[in-house]
Amino acid sequence: MDRAAKDKALLDRIGIDQIARNARARRRGQLGLGLVFMAPALIMVVGVLLAPVLFNIWLSFTKWRKFTGFGEYAGFANYERLPSNPFFNEALINTAIWVGASVVFPIALGLGMAMFFRNLRGAETFKNIIFIPRILAPTAVGVLWFYVYAPDGLLNRGLGLVSGRDVDIGWLYNDATVTPAIIATFVWQTAGLVMVLLLLGLAAIPKDPIEAAHIDGASRWQIFRYITLPLLMPTLLMVTILSVLAGFTVFDLLWVMGANYPGQRSLALAVFMYFEAFQKGSWAFGSAVAVIIGLVVLCVTWFQTVLQARVDRMTR
Amino acid sequence: MAFDISTLDLDAIERREAAKNKGSALKLVAAIGFALLWIVPFYFLAISIFKSSNEYSRNPPLALPEGLAPFWDNVARAWELGSMGQAMMNSAFYGTVGASLAVFFAAMAAFAITRLDIPFRNGWFMLIFAGTVFPFQMYLIPLFFGYQKLGLLNSHMGMLLFYTAICVPFPTLVLRNFMSGLSREMDEAARMDGANEFTVFFRIILPNTIGPMTAVFLLQFTWIWNDMLFSTVLGNRLETRSIMNALLVFQGSYSSIGPNIVLTAALLASLPSIVLFFLLRRHFMQGLQVQQS
Repeated sequence: MDRAAKDKALLDRIGIDQIARNARARRRGQLGLGLVFMAPALIMVVGVLLAPVLFNIWLSFTKWRKFTGFGEYAGFANYERLPSNPFFNEALINTAIWVGASVVFPIALGLGMAMFFRNLRGAETFKNIIFIPRILAPTAVGVLWFYVYAPDGLLNRGLGLVSGRDVDIGWLYNDATVTPAIIATFVWQTAGLVMVLLLLGLAAIPKDPIEAAHIDGASRWQIFRYITLPLLMPTLLMVTILSVLAGFTVFDLLWVMGANYPGQRSLALAVFMYFEAFQKGSWAFGSAVAVIIGLVVLCVTWFQTVLQARVDRMTR
Repeated sequence: MAFDISTLDLDAIERREAAKNKGSALKLVAAIGFALLWIVPFYFLAISIFKSSNEYSRNPPLALPEGLAPFWDNVARAWELGSMGQAMMNSAFYGTVGASLAVFFAAMAAFAITRLDIPFRNGWFMLIFAGTVFPFQMYLIPLFFGYQKLGLLNSHMGMLLFYTAICVPFPTLVLRNFMSGLSREMDEAARMDGANEFTVFFRIILPNTIGPMTAVFLLQFTWIWNDMLFSTVLGNRLETRSIMNALLVFQGSYSSIGPNIVLTAALLASLPSIVLFFLLRRHFMQGLQVQQS
């Protein structure tokens, strides 16, 4: 017997090929089993979420409005109409304001509160009070603040008490005040979550470098600026992205609190999209607005993964 | 060397202690002042529900109510005007059944992804997780249209279907992360003893995943309970609308229905979330922690 045949005979006796065949068979068998286990989740996600997204993209290239034009190809006509729509432009500007404000205020406030409450005894009660608005529905919070901002509501009465004369500002009825007022409510609702997430991040920071710096005579500001803040960066990054997305897609608060504002349609992109599709029946045009919103969200998410990878490399 | 207590500057230590105490007292005052920004709106809510409409418009917003009696009248009127009983039943149904199904489906998928020998395990996961990437606005028009075609619009089944689907991807992420950290020794041993994968899943993996499953269930239940947008678009009928959608009934008629009644309705609608939060605070925070990672 030559060498190769001998090896083959030996391998047959051990059953290597059989093991490999079995492994391949099990692999195929387990794919079937795996599909059985994944089927409900896959059917739900693909059928109810992902297929509609594709359908939405297709719709945005059609002429569908009210009862006509379903399935008629329109090219980029819906997208070309966007820049000349005054409501869209206003909604775009307002959404940009929302994104900026929903990053700056909740994070500045949340970081301040997290640093403040971190080592304060008995802070648990305060933390709970500040966090509770976050578990309430934006709809309910919007109803509450609607009456805080009402012409004869809490805020005007309070300002009247402080200034000594009658204050009669229609916070939710004026172009100049409606967006800042609703943003203030948003900050009131979300700062608690930011605080809790940052507290979790702070708790994960090792104590040694801070103590070492303290012994070396670093001031509290220096410790915060050069040790705490860099180590908190991953958490801050995540909170920033969450805030950007929340501010960019805000809808419920605007819907409830802006209900009596004459320019409600232009309050933000999500509201504009709802009006175009469900109130005007411009289905294809509304789909195009939804695609724009989706593109921005995808870009932000992509940006996050890139940054996250960089931060991970830096902190490792 | 003997320690001489007379060399210690006890006064300085006392001064320092006093300064420290003063500092923390100041801090406490600052904390209370700050917390007032959060307490005052809640206080306003808490007293408004005890006022009659007449009393609400007559007295300052922060004045204590004259009596507690109007509360039951407010509840009765809010309940009736908003048909809140029906809406609460609907939301409780969508929330419990939808979130339970979603978490169970997610656990099954996570089991396949972490425990079974399947090709492209990461690809399957990404496909499911892609359900969290897109903004809700991209679902609205196609779902409205599709539901209309399939006769699911304004039906309990249609609402349940959507709420279940939207709650699948995030729990899949959480449970996949958790299950991949579970020791493999137990299920390997069970397989040696001839257990099939279903037995392993139901008898070994699921019982060990109850904690994270509860946490994500609570998060998803709260999400469904708090949803207003999809109920407005897909189930805007008295029989099918959610509790937050029911709150919008008051929105169109702010002037005719007293604020005291609308605020009572808002509180009633929020009560389950608040109760759940205080009963299960630990699980909630756990949920947040997994949300972060």
